[in-house]
Amino acid sequence: MVELRARIFAPARDPLWGALLSLLASLILSFAAIALSGRDAMAGFADLAAGAFGGPGPLGETAIKTSVLLLTGLSVAVAFSVGLFNIGAEGQLIWGALAAAVVGRSQVPGVLLWSLLAAALAGALWGLLPGWLKVRRGVHEVISTILLNWIAIHLVHGWLIAGPLAASGSGAEVSVAGTAPIAPAAWLPRLVAGSRLDAGLPLALAIALGVWLLTTRSVRGFEWRAVGAGREAAQASGIPAGRRICEGMALSGALAGIAGALLILGTEHRYPGVFRTGYGFDGIAVALVGGGTVWGSALAALVFGALRAGATRLQLVGIHPSFAELTQGFAVLLVAAPRLFQPVLLRLRGRALPPSSAPPIPTVQP
Amino acid sequence: MNALELSGIVKRFGEVLAVDGISLSVARGEVLAVVGENGAGKSTLVSVASGLLAPDAGEVRAFGRSLPPGDPRAAIDAGIGAVYQHFMLVGPLTVWENAVLGREPRRFGFIDRRRARDEVAAAAQRFGLSVDIDARVDQLGVAAQQRVEIVKQLWRGARVLIVDEPTAVLSPPESAQLLATLRSLAAAGRSVLFISHKLREVLDVADRIAVLRHGHLLQATSRAETDARQLTSAIMGLSRVSGTPYETPAARSDSARHGGHGEFRIVSPKLEVREVVCRSDRGKLALRGVSFRIGGGEILGVAGVDGNGQAELAEVLTGLRPATGMVALDGDPSFHRSPAAARAAGVVHLPEDRRRRALCLGLSIEENLALGNQRAPPYARGASIDFGGRRNKALELIRAFDVRPPDPRARAGALSGGNQQKLVAARELRGGAPPRLVVAVHPTRGLDEQARQRVHEALRAAREAGAAALLVSLDLDELRALCDRILVLFDGRSTGEVPPDASDEQLGSLMLGQESAVG
Repeated sequence: MVELRARIFAPARDPLWGALLSLLASLILSFAAIALSGRDAMAGFADLAAGAFGGPGPLGETAIKTSVLLLTGLSVAVAFSVGLFNIGAEGQLIWGALAAAVVGRSQVPGVLLWSLLAAALAGALWGLLPGWLKVRRGVHEVISTILLNWIAIHLVHGWLIAGPLAASGSGAEVSVAGTAPIAPAAWLPRLVAGSRLDAGLPLALAIALGVWLLTTRSVRGFEWRAVGAGREAAQASGIPAGRRICEGMALSGALAGIAGALLILGTEHRYPGVFRTGYGFDGIAVALVGGGTVWGSALAALVFGALRAGATRLQLVGIHPSFAELTQGFAVLLVAAPRLFQPVLLRLRGRALPPSSAPPIPTVQP
Repeated sequence: MNALELSGIVKRFGEVLAVDGISLSVARGEVLAVVGENGAGKSTLVSVASGLLAPDAGEVRAFGRSLPPGDPRAAIDAGIGAVYQHFMLVGPLTVWENAVLGREPRRFGFIDRRRARDEVAAAAQRFGLSVDIDARVDQLGVAAQQRVEIVKQLWRGARVLIVDEPTAVLSPPESAQLLATLRSLAAAGRSVLFISHKLREVLDVADRIAVLRHGHLLQATSRAETDARQLTSAIMGLSRVSGTPYETPAARSDSARHGGHGEFRIVSPKLEVREVVCRSDRGKLALRGVSFRIGGGEILGVAGVDGNGQAELAEVLTGLRPATGMVALDGDPSFHRSPAAARAAGVVHLPEDRRRRALCLGLSIEENLALGNQRAPPYARGASIDFGGRRNKALELIRAFDVRPPDPRARAGALSGGNQQKLVAARELRGGAPPRLVVAVHPTRGLDEQARQRVHEALRAAREAGAAALLVSLDLDELRALCDRILVLFDGRSTGEVPPDASDEQLGSLMLGQESAVG
């Protein structure tokens, strides 16, 4: 009991717990909000669950959304690790999506792989730019990434897919804006019949594992975190801080770029005329709730993905589908809350954990 | 009735007693200078007087009225105006706009621009402060901005002006002008509390001079009763008024092995520095041709009043600041081209600002212990972190330096200042390959006696292992206890190099820029 209390009040020390608690609490709050508005909250949650997990179809939708959110969340989390707040995942995602749509039209062997790589590269370049501006000119990355989002949106939507890259075919394609369809060989393979579940989920999970190994297990990841935690100290200790920031931002952009590619290669199969996903921005929420950690972000991505997938069904009981955003907002607020109440929590924890029961320091034998 | 009266002020920060029962008063029309080395408690005292800090005990009175503790507005209303080292000015606004900001004269609910401007201009003129009232503040130089701060305080009715290290940012002629301004303020019946560690200025401008050391008031004398020599001794604690027990040079066990004092052994110079010149962050010349050599197994102390180039010298040697002239370590003149290169060459650094320069406060103790050596065993195995090796090494270092709490996973930012410094010393001196050059800047500032001893032991151990070491300190006792020779810097030049048993008088005069006949 004492141990449990100590753990509950230690979200900062254990981000996975923090994520889980804030997600649970936000669901409870959302439930209460629906009930207070006079709707049938039980029925709503049942529909939500059915829309997210009820059979292969809904599970596929949840999987797609979870994969994309996981990648944009990781994008933000990786930038966090080098100390930058990347608001630009949306722009990086757009370039990644466009690169995948363009390369995916070619007939080369292994076109799927090339499309993914092109998306990663495009996103990386768009992420590198604010990193480089930060290192070279001291431009604050929040400002530059926000502005770069709009540059990406208007360049791609206002010009490229309406002009140079617009589908120039005949028949059905003409009436629809956007690029020409990609080659079927570039489609992400679907894994289960009757579901849109595709190879995006295993790919995203594999990438998450890679990011986890890189950021927490490798020396390079340690150097990133050192730069993020104290740029001057890292620099003075011989770590090339500027280069590490650029690397982190490039990886951050690449992850968002691949997220865009999953949407194109998995479901859209072309760059559509209307493509305002919001996944890049939701990645910020995912990373925040996940405490900047890989598995915390994965958990948050799963819950937010399920909410996105299930929320459409909520209209059946008269609940607006923006309910998903409400829950998301609660979760972010609740994750911030423990920091607000940290002094109180620490005091409670101090009482819960008498000094004598402090855990022994684990010693690792060589 | 005094203009400003501080009685029995005590202020504590955590474990550190910054000000320990100081009583001081400033009369009307008087310039009181407060001197002391860094950390003596000057700035804390100023912050208490201006209401920025609430004292733990004691009282601040202005013109006989007691001020509520920790209330800057009440202090301003009572006529206390402070000019800090960091100016509180809004760049894009004009001089007069800055002066009236927050207290704008109003007319029909709008700012009465004409009245505001005229009043500020009148205040500036009355005290002979030459400043262009309509200039934008961000287009003014530092000295002019400082005058704006003073005008601002005067317009607000300050009758006691507190100026904290005002000349640190000024060139000599600008300083002279400022001192003249302060004198004329005093002549007009205003009071000035002048904080500085530049003795010449203090002796130029003050009516009375108070000396602080380790949070105590050592003496408060009239200008006539003291001189530079006496003040230097008091500031440095040379008369051992409040001296901490150090081993005396004579008691040093290793002095015999080193061939005694006075005989300079240069064991094949490890570090050779010739005619080094560099600039400070503000672009002023910080080192103007300094030369010295340090042999292996030798500690060279660097003494001097703070701000005479010591910090920049340490940065040059650790690759953090570019310089011209020759700096060679074991014959390699390019080892200091970057922090990474210096570290690879075996240079370790205990920087002055350890929280910013040496530690990633958000990372754990063990991660901080790996910093700088993170790519090599036992901290890494190939490209990945060796968690077991790192943990064991961390526990070993924590034990050796008695870092508390002894939990390798604790955040470095949660440690006390002394433990942070022990952490840095452990890493730099024992964390990796044996160092070839140790650069330590005020390595024991703010440390308690035990922690101080640990750091000293570690520095001695590095010397035993054959490293060359440069120790910058304001504490002459510390320099004497550790160093084989002491180099004195003044205004970016070396004024002499003396054995550690040099007399107080000799060191004092070198620190004041009088070249030594001995060095």
